[in-house]
Formats: sequence, structure tokens, C-alpha cells
Amino acid sequence: MRRKPIVIPSDSAAVTAAVVMRLYVVGGAPNSVQALANLEAICQRQLKGSYQLEVVDVLEQPLRALADGVIVTPSLIKLSPLPAAQIVGNLSDKSKVQRALGLEEKIW
Amino acid sequence: MKTASSDSRTETDFSETEAAFATFIRRLIQDAATLRAIDSGEVDAILDPVSGRAILLPEAREALRQSEVPTNQVLATLPREEYQRLRAGLELVTLTFGDVLHEPGELIQHIYFPNEGLLVSLLTLVQDRMGLEIGLVGSEGMVGLPVAQGIDTSSVRAVVQGTGTALRMESSQFRQALETSPALQRTLHRYTYALIAQITQTAACSRFHQVEARLARWLLMASDRLQSNSIHFTQEWLADLLGVRRVGVTLAASALQQQRLIQYSRGNITILDREGLKASACECYQKIKDIFDRA
Ligand SMILES: [Zn+2]
Repeated sequence: MRRKPIVIPSDSAAVTAAVVMRLYVVGGAPNSVQALANLEAICQRQLKGSYQLEVVDVLEQPLRALADGVIVTPSLIKLSPLPAAQIVGNLSDKSKVQRALGLEEKIW
Repeated sequence: MKTASSDSRTETDFSETEAAFATFIRRLIQDAATLRAIDSGEVDAILDPVSGRAILLPEAREALRQSEVPTNQVLATLPREEYQRLRAGLELVTLTFGDVLHEPGELIQHIYFPNEGLLVSLLTLVQDRMGLEIGLVGSEGMVGLPVAQGIDTSSVRAVVQGTGTALRMESSQFRQALETSPALQRTLHRYTYALIAQITQTAACSRFHQVEARLARWLLMASDRLQSNSIHFTQEWLADLLGVRRVGVTLAASALQQQRLIQYSRGNITILDREGLKASACECYQKIKDIFDRA
């Protein structure tokens, strides 16, 4: 389940290029759970129609993380659109995440 | 260590190990942002490029160890011995909003025991649209109940709401485990009865009750299962679950807010007055709750 990317089909309102992300986590560990929840909240509000998020558990696939240059979890990688960006930690700093994803810094 | 007690040695060893680990981390990581994240406790694990393995930090390790004690109530009611037998086949997974666990007509690969904080909606699909919610499963239950009855395909779509963990097991393995676990059989019989009652009541509710009363019911049910007064959702999502137009949910939510029963902001609802919300909810809430409490 968690290796399957969550693909949210774009609706007619949002025809912008999809943001493709990969989040490296340790399933069930507090910061990883937090990072997922924080990222989800941002994506639901600002990327409604168009994003792909793949969640990778490093206890299962450590080599993939290393190949991606990931050295700690949680780590979020924005793969597309370019430029790629990486951000570490539990993603509780909303504006930092928004900047990394190239989003408008909105305060809800 | 100034105290000369017998365990001062182990403490010294421990802090030496910690210090060595800290040095190791600093040598491994030169990036300032990453070090800051580690220092502020925002990191769960470090990947060691030499061994190619992930090393858990102490807090994450402790959290994972604790999660081995299930917060799922079906599992928690089992005698220790039965649970130990089951445990080998259970895998802890993190699930996120929108994950589809089961699809109508498809094979049920895994059954899930949600831990505290995870909610799963059971939906019937109407013309491939996002479906109407007919059941809500939290840490009191199990997702994939047909497997316990010997049926291997799902009749509903099971979708995760929010983010949380669950213990899951492969269906075939679960079926075998169930045969040798009488306590699990009994618990699941009672849960099946309660879930069927919930589904039946929900069907009547969708047909006969007003949106505001149904929204109040849903919030109470979700809050019971999450064991939290704070619920995260979007209005679109709730409108789909309740099978009404979004504006219906908006109006109902603002009516409840005006009565100071809930506070709604940024996709989060906080229940302010539980008793008041119960009074606004349709009778279905209490009926379903009574059945679950008795079962
Ligand atoms: Zn009702």
C-alpha cells in the first residue's frame, strides 16, 4: 500500500503541471507520521488537482533512499517540476515546505 | 559519573555510546539544515551509506517498540497468548489520506486493524463516482471483515481518512490464524453484528435525516473513533461521504458553528460542546453507539 504512489487525478480547474514528490519515512515513527500529515494538509489545499506523492519506507528500501541522496528521514524530495528540491524534518514549517515545492506562501 | 553505585558503569557506557553516535552522525552529515533537524528532534532515522541500512534514533525506536502494543481494540481484547501468535503475521503500516485499501469486486489482499487515530470509510460506489459512506471503521474494528466470513472479495471501497497506522495481515494468513483463535472469532462475531447494524442505520439515515443532523452524527462518530475532539477533513470530502452537495455541508457546518457546538477553520473541526452536538445529531448516533457498546 505505501509503496503505491497516491495519484490524485487533475480536475478541470487545475491544469498546472503536476508536482511529483517522494517522501522518505520510517513507517509509524513520530516525525514521519507528522511529516506525512503536514505535507498532506498543504497538498490538499494548494495542489488540489495535481500532485503525485510516493511514500517510501527506508526500513524496507534503504538503498533507494541512499541513491536519492537521502541521509535522514523524514526527507521530502520534489522531483518535478525542476529545479528539484529537498527538505528534511517533520515539515511543520509550512512556509519552508511551500518554498521547497515552489508554492505561494499562503497563511490559511 | 560521580556516584559510585554499581550501575554507574553502565551509565557511563551508555553516554559513551551516545557520544560516539553523535560524533558519527556529525562526521556523516555536514549539511547544516540536516544537523538542525536532528538537533531539534525532527529526525527518525539516519541512513548509513557504509552498511546501507537505516539506523533508528532512540525516540523513533521507542515509538516503534510501543506501537507493538496494539491500540486496536479488537487485538487489545485478545488473550496475550493469542495475540502473540497473531503478531508474527501482522505488519505495521502507515496509511495516508486517500489510500484505497479495498475496491468493490476486487480481491482483499490484506485485512487491517486500524490503530488509534486512523479512520477508514467504507463506501458504496454509485456510477464510479466517489461513493456514499455506509460505514466508518476506527480502532474499534477491522477492515476486511468478509475475509473472516470466508469471502475473499470486497463489496465496498475502503478509503483511509487522515494519517495513522494500522496492523495488517495477508488475507490467507488471517484466515488460517482465525481458525486457531477462538477469542478472535468471538470478538469479530460481535464486531460484525455491530457493523451491520451501523450500515443499516446509516442507510436509513441517508434517506430520512437532514444534512445538519447527519453532519453532527458523523462528527460524533468520527470523534469517538479518533478519540479526539479535533477532526481534519475537507468540505468536498464530507459532501461526498454524506452524498450531498458541498453547499449543503457548508451551510450545516456554519449552522453548527453559530450554535457554538463546533469551530470550523482551515479544514479542521473542533467539537466545542459535545452534549449540544449530540442534541443536534439525529437519533442514529445514539442507536449505533448503543449497539457498539453492547456488542
Ligand atoms: Zn440519522
